[in-house]
Amino acid sequence: MTAGTGPAAGGAPATAVRAHGLPATPVGDAPATAPLGRLLAAEVRWVLRRPRTLVLLGVFALIPVLIAIGVTVADRRAGPGRGLIGAVAGNGLVLPVAAMTVSLALLLPLAVAMAAADAIAGEAAAGTLRGLLLAPVGRLRLVVMKAFGVLVVAVAAVAVLAAVGVLAGLVVVGSAQGQLVTLSGTTIGLGDALGRVALVAVWTVGQLAAVGAVALAVSALTEHPLVVLAAVLAGLIVFGVLGAIPTLGWLQPYLLTSGWSAGVDALRDPLPSDGMVTATLRALCYLVVGIGATVATMLRRDA
Amino acid sequence: MTLAEVPAAPAVPAAAVPAAARARGLRKVFGSTVAVGDVEGNGIDLDVPHGAVLGMLGPNGSGKTTLIRMLLGLTRPTSGTAELLGRPMPDSAATVLPHVGALVEGPGFHPFLSGRENLRRVAASEPLLPTRDIRAAVDAALERVGLGAAADRRFRGYSLGMKQRLGLGAALLLPRRLVVLDEPTNGLDPAGTRDVRGIIADLHADGATVVVSSHLLTEVEATCTHVAVLQSGALIAAGELSSLLDADAAGLVVVTPDVDLAVSTLRAAGASAYRDGGSDGVPAVAVSDGPPAPEIVALLVRAGVAVHEARRRRPRLEELFARLTEGAP
Repeated sequence: MTAGTGPAAGGAPATAVRAHGLPATPVGDAPATAPLGRLLAAEVRWVLRRPRTLVLLGVFALIPVLIAIGVTVADRRAGPGRGLIGAVAGNGLVLPVAAMTVSLALLLPLAVAMAAADAIAGEAAAGTLRGLLLAPVGRLRLVVMKAFGVLVVAVAAVAVLAAVGVLAGLVVVGSAQGQLVTLSGTTIGLGDALGRVALVAVWTVGQLAAVGAVALAVSALTEHPLVVLAAVLAGLIVFGVLGAIPTLGWLQPYLLTSGWSAGVDALRDPLPSDGMVTATLRALCYLVVGIGATVATMLRRDA
Repeated sequence: MTLAEVPAAPAVPAAAVPAAARARGLRKVFGSTVAVGDVEGNGIDLDVPHGAVLGMLGPNGSGKTTLIRMLLGLTRPTSGTAELLGRPMPDSAATVLPHVGALVEGPGFHPFLSGRENLRRVAASEPLLPTRDIRAAVDAALERVGLGAAADRRFRGYSLGMKQRLGLGAALLLPRRLVVLDEPTNGLDPAGTRDVRGIIADLHADGATVVVSSHLLTEVEATCTHVAVLQSGALIAAGELSSLLDADAAGLVVVTPDVDLAVSTLRAAGASAYRDGGSDGVPAVAVSDGPPAPEIVALLVRAGVAVHEARRRRPRLEELFARLTEGAP
């Protein structure tokens, strides 16, 4: 390169930079960032205004209703069915737990994966990730903001399932004096039953947080949102297959999905805690690895 | 490359006023493709003085956007250093970028939100914008880029020009020390192009530094004080627009009704002269390689040629650009 090195410096140095008639702030030494609360609020508004999020929440509202109608119709035709869904018959407060457990197998993880896909890969595809990094939202804050947005979707989806589940359970299915007959045969009161529904809801959000963290890590690697969905779907299928092979039983403790039926434990009396606790600890490991990978990738990512 | 010897205009002492943007040996290689820098391994050196309006020119794929992305810290350089407002990038991104407005690689917005909601989302992430000022800043930016009437329509339905205007609005949400605009006139109609020119002129008048990349040479010529020309990743010319054009100036243009007499007189004096119709149809003679200007005028007057006007022949930026980019490998 021989030509055209340093151009002439021309004009007087700018002393006061003005636009809109306001003085520009001088460049300080301290890094400036927008308040975290404002960033989180903007993220939540963005997540909840997205049409697909709203459609998704509508679908989750339909699930308990459909189960309730199905159980009621089947109940009239023949005797009570077997399994968890069968246990809903005449025992409405089982419905929210059943709805959450059924959805946790596929629908909830996919919903969270979709939110995670839009969070980083989707923003990159829309060209808006660049804007956030140029504002600048620090890269670490960006991960916090995005993880929060995904968590909000997970909480909203589970909350809709639980709330509509309780309502549909009490109204459509009905239960004897608002009580819950546990799988163990005992009966617990309404307040206690609602507490157990809440416990399952919180536990389910914890499992979804693990899925979301891993999905975010994939999302940070790509600018194609579909890749994230495909990765999570493939992961669920592979984990399901591995979990079903008896000779691979030693693998079970490492598979996130292997503890996903533990939510039903909340319907037993007395409540066995080890299943849910083990699943929560496992989810915590996935969460830490996922967030760690997301941060590591985002710190280096070109936008 | 004769332009290398463009005399430097009186420079502001580098130590006292760091350049608004500075590149030293900046180079970016994607795989085996050199995006910025030359094949021998050298990078780009570039200074953008404070208060300048730098037009970055180059054919498609010449490295303009990659250079801008490295300056803004969006891409890590393979080698070399980038500085913005006197601080190293990308390490000082959190300190510097709040003072920088940028429109890079086209406007990025969410199709399901209206223009106003999109800008509010951008505004929420601006560190220097107090929360209570967000609404007013968004409204002002929308008005400034002429989107006031379309602000509440979804971005999905915006035309290319309206999208571009919204991108410009996002860069102008608050007062900036440096504004970087990558192809700001893309997709704009003539009125929009004129608006962009006006916005750049306003920013310049307010003392902000502007870096604008464009392939519309007339735009650059109309709005810029400085030019940097890129070709295949290499910087082939950089400097003040006027000195670049003056350095390329070849001889004089003499406006006269006695064209034939003027041409023969000048040729007799050893200059190369020819009729230069000019765009406005006024008869004129272009002279080059002859004696110095005062002698030429004296010669013509002595020969009885009516000289209405004599001026240095300044090429259009377009000619300069074409010669530079076609001559280079």
